[in-house]
Amino acid sequence: MQRAAFASKNSLVTLLVSVLACVFLYFALVGSLFVALAVIGIGLALIVLGEYRGKAEAIHTAFGEHRSLGITVLIIFVLTLPFLLKGNNYLLHIVVMGGIYSVVALGLNFQMGSTGMVNFATAAFFGTGAYTSALLVTKFNISPWLGTVSGLVLAAVLGLLFGIPALKTRGYYLSLVTMALQVIFTLMIINTSWLGGPNGVPGIPAYSLAGFSLKTSVVLFGIKLPYQANYYYLVFGILGLAVLVAARLYNSHVGLAWNAIEQDEIVAVTQGINQTKIKLLAFALGAAFAGLAGALYGHYTSFIGVENFDFSISLIFICMVLLGGMDNVLGVVLGAMLLTIVDEKLRDFADYRMLMYSLILIIILLARSQGLLPKRIRKYGKLRDSKIEPISNG
Amino acid sequence: MLELCNISTKYGQIPMLMEVSIKVDKGEAVCLLGANGAGKTTVLKTIISMVKPIKGEVFFNGQRLDLLPSHKVIQAGIAIVPEREGLFPKLTVENNLLMGAYYEKDKQKINHRMEEVLTIFPKLKERFRRNAGTLSGGERKMLGIGRALLADPQVLLLDEPSLGLAPALVHEVYAVIERIKKEKNLAILLVEQNALKALSVVERGYALQKGGIFLEGSSAELRENKIVVESYLSSCSV
Repeated sequence: MQRAAFASKNSLVTLLVSVLACVFLYFALVGSLFVALAVIGIGLALIVLGEYRGKAEAIHTAFGEHRSLGITVLIIFVLTLPFLLKGNNYLLHIVVMGGIYSVVALGLNFQMGSTGMVNFATAAFFGTGAYTSALLVTKFNISPWLGTVSGLVLAAVLGLLFGIPALKTRGYYLSLVTMALQVIFTLMIINTSWLGGPNGVPGIPAYSLAGFSLKTSVVLFGIKLPYQANYYYLVFGILGLAVLVAARLYNSHVGLAWNAIEQDEIVAVTQGINQTKIKLLAFALGAAFAGLAGALYGHYTSFIGVENFDFSISLIFICMVLLGGMDNVLGVVLGAMLLTIVDEKLRDFADYRMLMYSLILIIILLARSQGLLPKRIRKYGKLRDSKIEPISNG
Repeated sequence: MLELCNISTKYGQIPMLMEVSIKVDKGEAVCLLGANGAGKTTVLKTIISMVKPIKGEVFFNGQRLDLLPSHKVIQAGIAIVPEREGLFPKLTVENNLLMGAYYEKDKQKINHRMEEVLTIFPKLKERFRRNAGTLSGGERKMLGIGRALLADPQVLLLDEPSLGLAPALVHEVYAVIERIKKEKNLAILLVEQNALKALSVVERGYALQKGGIFLEGSSAELRENKIVVESYLSSCSV
C-alpha cells in the first residue's frame, strides 16, 4: 500500500520535472534575449538549490524508476514543438542548429568528458563530414544520403588516422596536437580551390525522400510548416539515435574503460585494458558523430564556408560539453541547446556578440563549474544487499 | 610457472637490473627484498611488460611475456597490486573491483568472484557504492588486493603492501595475504621492504641490491642469514 503510494509519488515527480524542463526550454527559445537569460538563470538556480537541499538525488531516483515516462514527455515535446512554434521558421532554424550541434557535442564528449582528452579539432571533423558530403554530391551527383554516409565514414577514418599520432601525447600536449590539426584543416580548405577555397561550396542539394524534397513546406493539421520542420524531424530523429548510442556506451564497459583511462592510464593498462584500442575508439566515434552532423549541416544550409568550421567553432563545442556537464549525455545535449539559443539571441548585439557570449559563459561557469548536469556516480552491477551504504559523493 | 631469465634493463643510459633471474612456481609464495632504489618495482614492471628488458626473457607457462603488450600480459593471468594501490579515486568501490575483471566476458564468473572477494573483505561491501577516493588507507589496500583477485589470476604481484600503513593494519593485510595463499591456488610474488613480515608468509625469497640478486634461499635460511638480519631485520621491527 505504502509502496504503491511511494511509486506514484515518484512518477508524479518525474512527470513534473520533465514537463518543467520542457516548459523552460520552450520559453528560453521563444522569449527575447532577456527572457531567455532569465529562464536559464532560474533553471540554474533551481538545479543548484535542488542539489543543495539533496532533492536532486531523489529526482534522479524517480527518473531511474520511471524512465519511460520522462522519455515519453520529452518525445511528445519534441514531436509537437513545430506546432507549438506555429511554424515559425526562424525559431525552428535555431532548434535544428541546436540538434546538429548536440550530435557533435555528444561525439566530443566521448573524448573530452569520458576519456579526458580535450580535442580542439572537433570543428575539423565536423567540416570533414560537411565537405565530403557536399563535394561528392555537387561534383559527382551522388545521392545526399549516400554523401552523408561517406561524410560520416571519412570523418571516422580521419579521426582514427589522427588518433594514432595523438596517442603518443597526453594532456596539454595532446590538446596542442589537436589545435595543429584544426589549423591545418582550415588552411587546407582556404588554399585548395577544388574544395571551394575561401568562397565555400554553394548550392548543396537538399535531401529527398521518395521524390519529396525536404526543402518543400508542408501543411499539417491546418498549420503550414516551413521546410525547416522536415529537417527538424530528421535531425531530432538522428539526435535521438545518437543519445541512445551514447547512453548505451556510457553504461557499457567501454564507458567504464574510458573513465578508468581518464583517471589513471597506467593503472588502466594494468587491469588489462587495451589502451590504444579504447582511445582510438573514442576518437573515431567522436569524429563519426561530428562527420554525420557536418553532412546534415551542409545539406540543411545548402552553403558551407570555411568560417563554419574554424577554431572558434571548436571552442564553442568544448564550451557546450563543459557547460552542460562532462560525461553526462543529457547534460551535453542541454548545454548544446542552450548555447545555440543564447548565441542566436545575442545577434541583437552585433559587434559585441562574442563579448556577451564569453561573459555569459564566464558567469555560468563561475556559478557552477561542474556544468549544469554534472558527471554522476557511475552505477554498474546489480548487487542488492541491505548492508550496502546509499550512494554518496562524500 | 613464472620465470625471469637473466633480465637486464636500462632507464635511458642508466642500468637498472643486471642479470636478474627469479622463479615462482605454482602455488608458491616468493618475496623479493631490497632497499629503496634496488630495482624491486622495476622487476614487476618488467614482468608486466611496461619496461622492456635489453637482455633476457620472461616466461609464463612457456610463453614469452616480454614480447607481449602490457594488457595481454594481464589477460594471460597475471594481476598486479601496484605500489599505493593505483585505484581509480572517482569510481565507486564496485566499479574499481569490476575493472579487475575487465577482460572477463562471463557475467556469472564475475558475480561469483565478486561474492568471493566480498566475503574476504566484508568492509568493501559496506563501502560498495562509495568513491574509492573516500576510503581509508587500510580499505584502499584491501580494495587494491580485491581488485586483483577479481581477475582470478594465476600469479599475483604485490608491490609493497605494507607501505604507508600503521603496524596494526600491516598485520591485517598480511593476514589477508596468508588467507589468499591458503584458499586460492595461486603463485604470489611479494615485493617488500618489511623483510620480517614478508618472510613470515613466503616459502622462498630473493634479496636485491643495486639491481642484482645477491642472495636467495628459503625463508628460514634468509631469516637466519647474517646479511639479511643486518640490512633489513635489525632496523625495522614490526
